[in-house]
Amino acid sequence: MQLKLISCEIFYRELCAAVSRSRNTVDIEFLPKGLHDIGCASMLARLQEVVDRVEEGKYEAVLLGYGLCNNGIVGLTARATPIVIPRAHDCITLFLGSRQRYFDYFNSHPGVFFKTTGWIERGDSRGELRQLSIQRRIGLDSSFEELVEKYGEDNARYLWDEMCDLGRNYRQLTFIEMGVEPDDRFERQTREEAASRGWDFERVKGDPSMIQRFVDGCWDEREFLIVRPGARVAPTYEDDIITLDQL
Amino acid sequence: MVDLTQLHDAILRGDAKKAVAVTREALAENASPTELVSKHMIPAMDEVGRRFECQEYFVPELLLSARAMKGALELIRPLLVEQGVASAGRVIIGTVKGDLHDIGKNLVASMLEGAGFEVIDLGTDVAPGKIVTEILERKPNIVALSALLTTTMPFMKSTIEELKKAGVREQVKVMVGGAPVTQQYAEQIGADGYSDNANGAVAIARKLVSG
Repeated sequence: MQLKLISCEIFYRELCAAVSRSRNTVDIEFLPKGLHDIGCASMLARLQEVVDRVEEGKYEAVLLGYGLCNNGIVGLTARATPIVIPRAHDCITLFLGSRQRYFDYFNSHPGVFFKTTGWIERGDSRGELRQLSIQRRIGLDSSFEELVEKYGEDNARYLWDEMCDLGRNYRQLTFIEMGVEPDDRFERQTREEAASRGWDFERVKGDPSMIQRFVDGCWDEREFLIVRPGARVAPTYEDDIITLDQL
Repeated sequence: MVDLTQLHDAILRGDAKKAVAVTREALAENASPTELVSKHMIPAMDEVGRRFECQEYFVPELLLSARAMKGALELIRPLLVEQGVASAGRVIIGTVKGDLHDIGKNLVASMLEGAGFEVIDLGTDVAPGKIVTEILERKPNIVALSALLTTTMPFMKSTIEELKKAGVREQVKVMVGGAPVTQQYAEQIGADGYSDNANGAVAIARKLVSG
């Protein structure tokens, strides 16, 4: 099959590896990490724009390398080419290999921040997307110096503790090892970061088989949604996560 | 006599020290605690909410105003209790199981307190069973649930299911909120109210206790 893959760059190494092993011919376009932070309307607009540019008749399907991602894919419409989307809340399902595994791990480990090669090396924290992020726009993404300048030192300390202390929300870094790492730098960096924050660290073995099924065209209905031309993505708020909304 | 508009202004400007100082002085001069709340604090927080909706105020401003309000309320609350003054309603609030995010929840809790509600904050990662226990013990008017992740939103549904199983669903109104939550989801799970921002949550809470 000839496929067009439009994906978050979070999957860069993992998807390139899977595509290299696939019998299918896959054209890849990576989009910047962090679209889930710019608001679902803005993320949808960006994705739709890229989907709309897909050359009609050239591909049998578009593979969308995204999960629900903070509702950023809700409303995405398939034009002439069907779109295949993993049934996933976010990328972690694809790294762990199944919804069930993510569900079980998530529920038994609240407050975990996941790290993978893409989470560590991808994305530009100084770039345009950061300025557009909701955190920035509502005032959450400030440096301590910015807070002091705007609100005075006493208020800045209070705000820093209330808004910016990640430790309120997270207590562990889990590194998901996908087998595409060239050496241990990603694991080491994660371990060091956890230590510097006083958080726990765990390394878990990822499972690339769902990603491989995705690019190989093994689209079981229970794992993937196929958005046929003319239909659009809607959330179910149930275990299957996404469904079709007929236009 | 202390100028009580200073209390309103201190809350509006997020000046906690001033808010506390003015309140202390006012109470020493036998100002009415209920008037302090209804004529100065609640209107101040209503204005804070309005400015937030108009995007003049952002999360930092809300947090600072809430801190000022809470500082003042700390001095007033014992007198309100002593005088047997009823609150606008009793609210139990928490972030659902598996979710440790709390900024939004804290803002809503502050705005509700600023609006005269009694708020019992259960924190984060609150299991459905805990909500049931608290309903039985504290008899709230409203249960407010927050979630920041689509992965934890299902616990809003299971909390409501748990309330039904325990036979307490009819005793409370349930309101939900949080970034990924929508009106559609709220209706789907049988919640009584939804808001997409902290100020709107106050309006919903007021509506739920009056209706």
